[in-house]
Amino acid sequence: MILEIENINVHYGAIHALKDVSFHLAEGEIVSLIGANGAGKSTNLNTISGILHPTSGKITSFGEEITHAAPQTIVRKGIVQVPEGRKIFPSMSVWENLELGAYTQTNRAEINERMQAIFQRFPRLKERRNQPGGTLSGGEQQMLAIARGLMAKPRVLLLDEPSMGLAPLMVEQIFEIIREINQEGTSILLVEQNALMALSISDRGYVLDTGKIVLGGAADELLHNPMVIDAYLGGNNG
Amino acid sequence: MKKTYFQPIQIGFIFGAVNVFLVLIGFNAMVASLLAKALGEQVLTALPPFPYLAAFTILLGLWCGIAAARKSSRARIAGNVLAGWLSGLAAGSVTFVFCVGIGWLLSNKIDIRNYLTVLSFDFINGVLMGLPPLVGALANLGILAAAGAVGGLLYGFIQSSKVKQINQPILALTCSTTEKLKRLDHGRRRLAFQILGVAIAGAVVIFLPLNWGSYWNYVAGTVGLYVILGLGLNLIVGLSGQLVLGYIAFFAIGAYTMALLNSPLPYNLMWGFWPALVLGVIFAALAGLLLGLPLMRLRGDYLAIVTLGFGEIIRILLKSDVLTDFSGGPRGIQNISGPTLFGRPFNSDIDFMYLIAISVALAAFVYNRLQHSRPGRAWLSIREDETAARACGVNTTRYKLLALALGAAFAGLAGAIYASRNQFTGPEEHSLMASINVLSLIIVGGLGNIPGTILGAFALKGLPEILREFSNYRLLTFGALLVVMMLSRPEGLIPSKRPKYKTPQEADGRNAEEKNVS
Repeated sequence: MILEIENINVHYGAIHALKDVSFHLAEGEIVSLIGANGAGKSTNLNTISGILHPTSGKITSFGEEITHAAPQTIVRKGIVQVPEGRKIFPSMSVWENLELGAYTQTNRAEINERMQAIFQRFPRLKERRNQPGGTLSGGEQQMLAIARGLMAKPRVLLLDEPSMGLAPLMVEQIFEIIREINQEGTSILLVEQNALMALSISDRGYVLDTGKIVLGGAADELLHNPMVIDAYLGGNNG
Repeated sequence: MKKTYFQPIQIGFIFGAVNVFLVLIGFNAMVASLLAKALGEQVLTALPPFPYLAAFTILLGLWCGIAAARKSSRARIAGNVLAGWLSGLAAGSVTFVFCVGIGWLLSNKIDIRNYLTVLSFDFINGVLMGLPPLVGALANLGILAAAGAVGGLLYGFIQSSKVKQINQPILALTCSTTEKLKRLDHGRRRLAFQILGVAIAGAVVIFLPLNWGSYWNYVAGTVGLYVILGLGLNLIVGLSGQLVLGYIAFFAIGAYTMALLNSPLPYNLMWGFWPALVLGVIFAALAGLLLGLPLMRLRGDYLAIVTLGFGEIIRILLKSDVLTDFSGGPRGIQNISGPTLFGRPFNSDIDFMYLIAISVALAAFVYNRLQHSRPGRAWLSIREDETAARACGVNTTRYKLLALALGAAFAGLAGAIYASRNQFTGPEEHSLMASINVLSLIIVGGLGNIPGTILGAFALKGLPEILREFSNYRLLTFGALLVVMMLSRPEGLIPSKRPKYKTPQEADGRNAEEKNVS
């Protein structure tokens, strides 16, 4: 199992943010975590990537425990988060943003090779390589954030709300990119509020509600589950 | 059409108002006597001779004309002259009204010095250049209008010479030199520039101190020490983005290490300058590390307040009666001995100037290497967005601590040299104001880069010394400078630039750039 989360509990002080959450991600899968605001989706990702630590429970990757590992260790293991809200480095150029994505890699040639691959996939970023990240459009910034994640050559990409604040056309583009990345062999854990979009590209999904996983299963099933349709897919539209 | 006339006039009115303000506070007299001194004239009275006062008006008019011509951005010289003249006229008319007003006061012998201290009769007479009120006011108007036109003309010339520079032999010469330089490949050209820069700086550093008097060496030395402090704080604030306010505490640690190890009281250890210097740097770095450990969880305002507290704690501890036996208390430590080199005392102001110059060079070198290596990149990412930096696998704790320790080491170095040079150190030298001075100088100069830090240190530590004779206006000039700077260069005098990158193929061949574009 590429990523396995077992009964984790996370607290922010007195607030119990995640309650006995368990799920897993198999090699080559796209798995979505969907849920409303404050359900604990981002907390979940931040816990996996080591920015937060659970009060109890266990996180393993390829059989190795990473529950209390530091973020940089987890990045080195190939589990890379693309943070929510396109947290790029606004006054650094696109190029420098990408280089930082490969911070754990010290081999110049390897970095250049990855950069080439990125520029091939995102020609837009190549054009804008010397522009400060903050001057890109919202969609380009999201591309940059994803590209920066790819620079670490991840085995698992943790995507936090990639559709946030983007125009519908851009959202489709981004999800297309996500699917491509997955087809090239990267497993993806996707956190989304846009449940329909997320489930439509996923293999499996989990529904998170006030810190608990209330539902899980194949994405197709979830798309037709009356409860999911009612709560997240806009009632009878689904 | 409206823009053609309206904008220069508007600028002129602003300059006119500024002129009136500057006259009301007597700034024109200050500049005039500075000019007179620069030209070698003895100024015995408070009021410099009329021509110099007029020179101030002319300079202001020129500036006004240039500003107006630049704003209007006309292609033809005549247009520039017109813009300059119009703005000068507008500034002049404001000044004219003002001059008529003060002229009326003068002719009716109404003394309002209770309210505006500067406006003595002599002074008004000076502003009117000794002429009758109405004539004097007209003269002011004429000078401003003429100077404005000349300013516009000057700007026009500069603009047009930029376009057809071939005509001018000097420009042609520089042109051919740059052509030659262009033929050298990029790396070698850069190296050539660097060698040239270092050679010039080296020559200046070697020869100038010998010709400066002891006072100017002292001033330049202080500037140098502040450059080191500025670079150190820049590592912490400019690169890693941690707003540390009590920075001078590390300076104090360096200074007191030097003092306690090298003064007759209280211990009479006399270890010598060099070991004390090294220890001062090490202790300061350790203090940075220790302070950093509890700070790691804090960001932004909280970090600023805690470090502010740290700075004050160090100062108050040094001052406290309890520690008088240990650190000299409020009286500080006197008679700190200076360095010796090859058995010879090495402690004149000139010697210290060389020592400081070497230290500045060392600090700048270390800073430069750090900035352009992995730690520098990591610091920048932390400054930009700490969460994202962690998501990229940057060990933020380690790099924040490293920045604090190294920045503190720079301050320790400066502090140790400072104490030894002054042969004294006391708690009040390490007050909050000093921390704020260092922070101001890096912000004024431009956060995060070496030239900015040097310029900032000159502007904040050197200029006040140069302006010392005009002590009344020192803070005023200084404040005005800061306001102007923040308006015109909000990112500091020399803002940091991000480097430009080429993709690997572009860097390979000469024509690759075109290939890639097509």
